[in-house]
Amino acid sequence: MPTPLSTRKVHLVGSRIRELRKGRRLTQTELSEKIGVAQSDLSRMEQGEYKVGLDTLFKILQVFDLKMGEFFGETAEPDAAAARDLVSDFEALSTEAQREVREFVRFKKMQQEQDAAAPEADAPFTPAIPAEPEETP
Amino acid sequence: MSERRKHLEFLRKTARDAAWAGDYERALLLFEDGLGLARSWKDRDLEDLFTCNRTMALIEMDREDFDLSRLKEIILRNPSGYNAVLASYVSATAHEARGEYARARFYAQSALTKGRELGLEELSGTSLNLLANLELHESRFEAARSLFQEALERLDSEGESLSRQAAVAADNLGYCHIALDQIEIGLPLVHRSFSVLDRLGARQAMDYPSLDLCFANVKLEKFDEAENWGVRALGLGKEFGRDDVVKNSHYLLAETYSEMGRESMADEHYEALASYYPNFPALKNYLRQISLMEVINLRA
Repeated sequence: MPTPLSTRKVHLVGSRIRELRKGRRLTQTELSEKIGVAQSDLSRMEQGEYKVGLDTLFKILQVFDLKMGEFFGETAEPDAAAARDLVSDFEALSTEAQREVREFVRFKKMQQEQDAAAPEADAPFTPAIPAEPEETP
Repeated sequence: MSERRKHLEFLRKTARDAAWAGDYERALLLFEDGLGLARSWKDRDLEDLFTCNRTMALIEMDREDFDLSRLKEIILRNPSGYNAVLASYVSATAHEARGEYARARFYAQSALTKGRELGLEELSGTSLNLLANLELHESRFEAARSLFQEALERLDSEGESLSRQAAVAADNLGYCHIALDQIEIGLPLVHRSFSVLDRLGARQAMDYPSLDLCFANVKLEKFDEAENWGVRALGLGKEFGRDDVVKNSHYLLAETYSEMGRESMADEHYEALASYYPNFPALKNYLRQISLMEVINLRA
């Protein structure tokens, strides 16, 4: 069963436009000139009182030239949107495939822990041997 | 009424029916026939009337080959006559089509004021409808809603059943309610409008009601209904060459399919929409992850 795309969607709202504009250090006047609306209308848009057509909305998206994660308000964690996508992909896998992914993740974590515990210098690289995976309940 | 006037009135009615049905070419030919006859009879009044009607048909066809100064002449020649009110209304429509909203508002207000003075209910109603549309362009939904309500009351009073103009006003009023999240009020108005326009053969005017019904059903999360109306709106938009309807339909259908989990169908519509914006290659990727439903205005 495919995961609906909607679970990954965020709604563009006025307050987000304001945050993004400030993030780009644009004044209302500067942004309104770029997207072709009056400054007073942009002000209303940021307060959620002004709705616009697709042409103007796409101009806004284009001006901001965003990474997807930014729209999710995850500027401090730029990979969060990618992580969200990964979870969605994982949920779409079969039970058996999910079990294999869990085993692989457990292996990678163990490998990372061993690397961290190893002496910093002169230690030859030794691949970690994964433990037998536990059965997924 | 003289025989000549009766003949031209019949011609005008036939042309208007053709225009409502979406056959603008035929409407234009009939208006031009009428204009030629009025000129040959040296009937200035009828010539002015057909000049206004012909211009209106050209505006509906997105054509610019008309002379706005001719309409101003008509307004100045007899400022308190029916033709002056009609010419003001047509001028407002021409300016609206060009995106000159301040001028459009000036002429629409003038048509409304004179129409009221002369007791011309239909022209007053259509002028109110136009003024309301201008408010909608600028996202003033509450103001637009009051004007559409008044337009509908005036146009409704013209006949026992809802006329085509009243049906358009009813749809617009319904859209305002839907956009303001008063869907339970808006939906019956739009359904009623669609039925009347269908019954009266006003096919070209059925695109917006279809689009509005799609919009309302997306908001209500009734996605099967939304799909049905969206497909209909898209077909009508393409048939009558209305890019705004086509683009909005693609967007709403993409959102609908996206919510239904039908990703390939959603992608098809996102791609179709993105093809209108070739300078924005990342658009499709944005649309997959960002919903614009909270900020979109289908009448902007």
